Amino acid sequence: MAQIEQSDKGGKKKKGAQKKMSIHVDFTPMVDMNMLLITFFMLCTTMIKSQTLQIVLPTNEEVKKENQNQAKASEALTMILDTEYEGDKPKIDAETGKTIHNIYYYEGIADTLFQTSKYLQKEQFIGNQNRQPQGIRKILRGKNEAVMEEYVKLKEQWKNKEITKEEFDRLAKKNASDSNKVRPVVVIKPGPNTTYEGLINAIDEMNINQISRYSIELPTATDTLLLKHFEQATGETIIRPTIRKKK
Amino acid sequence: MGKVKIKRKSTLIDMTAMSDVTVLLLTFFMLTSTFLQKEPTIVYTPSSVSEEKVPMNNLVTVLVSSADKSGKYEDPSVLEGKLFISFTGDADSTLSSEKIRLMMLDEAVSLYNEKHKSNPVQLTPQQRATFGTINMFGVPFSVLPEMLSMSITDRDKFLGDLANPNVGIPIDDNTDSKGNLNDFQVWLQAIYNVAQRINKEQTEGLTPEERQQMSNLYTALMRKGQGIAIKADKDTPFTTVHRVFDNLQTMKLNKFSLMTALKSEDEPTK
Repeated sequence: MAQIEQSDKGGKKKKGAQKKMSIHVDFTPMVDMNMLLITFFMLCTTMIKSQTLQIVLPTNEEVKKENQNQAKASEALTMILDTEYEGDKPKIDAETGKTIHNIYYYEGIADTLFQTSKYLQKEQFIGNQNRQPQGIRKILRGKNEAVMEEYVKLKEQWKNKEITKEEFDRLAKKNASDSNKVRPVVVIKPGPNTTYEGLINAIDEMNINQISRYSIELPTATDTLLLKHFEQATGETIIRPTIRKKK
Repeated sequence: MGKVKIKRKSTLIDMTAMSDVTVLLLTFFMLTSTFLQKEPTIVYTPSSVSEEKVPMNNLVTVLVSSADKSGKYEDPSVLEGKLFISFTGDADSTLSSEKIRLMMLDEAVSLYNEKHKSNPVQLTPQQRATFGTINMFGVPFSVLPEMLSMSITDRDKFLGDLANPNVGIPIDDNTDSKGNLNDFQVWLQAIYNVAQRINKEQTEGLTPEERQQMSNLYTALMRKGQGIAIKADKDTPFTTVHRVFDNLQTMKLNKFSLMTALKSEDEPTK
């Protein structure tokens, strides 16, 4: 551990001269122990704190029909979510290593949809490519153009430090719920095979595109009919047996 | 010719500097760390762009277990959708206050016993004390006394065995709030009642700090939606998560948080 060395250089010693002592302390065990402790702390800690996504759902109380606000057909957009499965596990895209979620969306109200030739359209969560929104994000951004324009300006101001983060948050929130602007009403309908990730992705898109009016509902019989129609038109199989039966 | 002297070099390496560095690192880790909470099952949360941090305190976490991924079970969904409640959230959370947690336990047990007069749950003082020290639990009320009498290792083993039908807080039979509450709803009701009571200062024996923290929880529960966080795996089917949503909606706790990991907006989602 620690040793005291006598330096006996020079050979000849004068009588009565003090012996020179140098003290070496071996720190190796100390380092060993520290490394162990570091390893312990590294394994036992969470460095990244989880984030939260806040949602507000309506209560389960029955709402009278006349009290319900009907969305205008021009503003409504319905997204039916679906996750592709392989056996009983979500199918994973070989390229990106992520689960494949499909979105079947339609604009307007389902009942009038049958009268037109426009049926469901298929999209996916692609996110941004070269900083340009792709996939469903592009569609949603297009629907919320008026709000997004202002939002981009606000963000620019915040980045240039003209306004503080708090101000930016406040203004962005006000902007997202500005009733003078044309804003979409989005209904998210997770199908029976949708995974939790699919739902989170959808809510996330709402936040990214500053859509303040959205709700989460279960698909209706009309939606199933629309999906069936889409199947016939494209030859794809969308409606598959539910992977998890409700217990 | 002079002799060539081979100089003997000492093999000792001075470890002092190395030791300095390691101690610095150690200090860093010790100061920045928050310990991982013991959870009966590991879930991988999906990622979102939301930058809102999990509030350090005032949080009740509802953990929804995911399907078996190891292939140990023939039907992987056997392990899915089991619920666990944690009052602590973080290690230094206010809800880790033993007094408040015991108040919640008492409230929940009395609520349950009111509804189930024929076979009420009786807890011994020891079992009650044990509840104050555990982090995450997930058993029906009928199994609660049994779970609380177990030793720590036995309890971890018991809660870790998700295939056991006695593990997980029952959530079925979602009735309206006037009818019989299921066990999950009883817990939610208890949390809500206790938070409300402390908010109205109808309790005694609490420090002003604890009172303040609980009144924060009340505000968080009712207004900001930060009181309850749901932690579910990204591969959990929506139908399973929806049951939890549905129960919360019935209890009129319709504002809540979903736990996610962080990702950037530009990151491809697909």
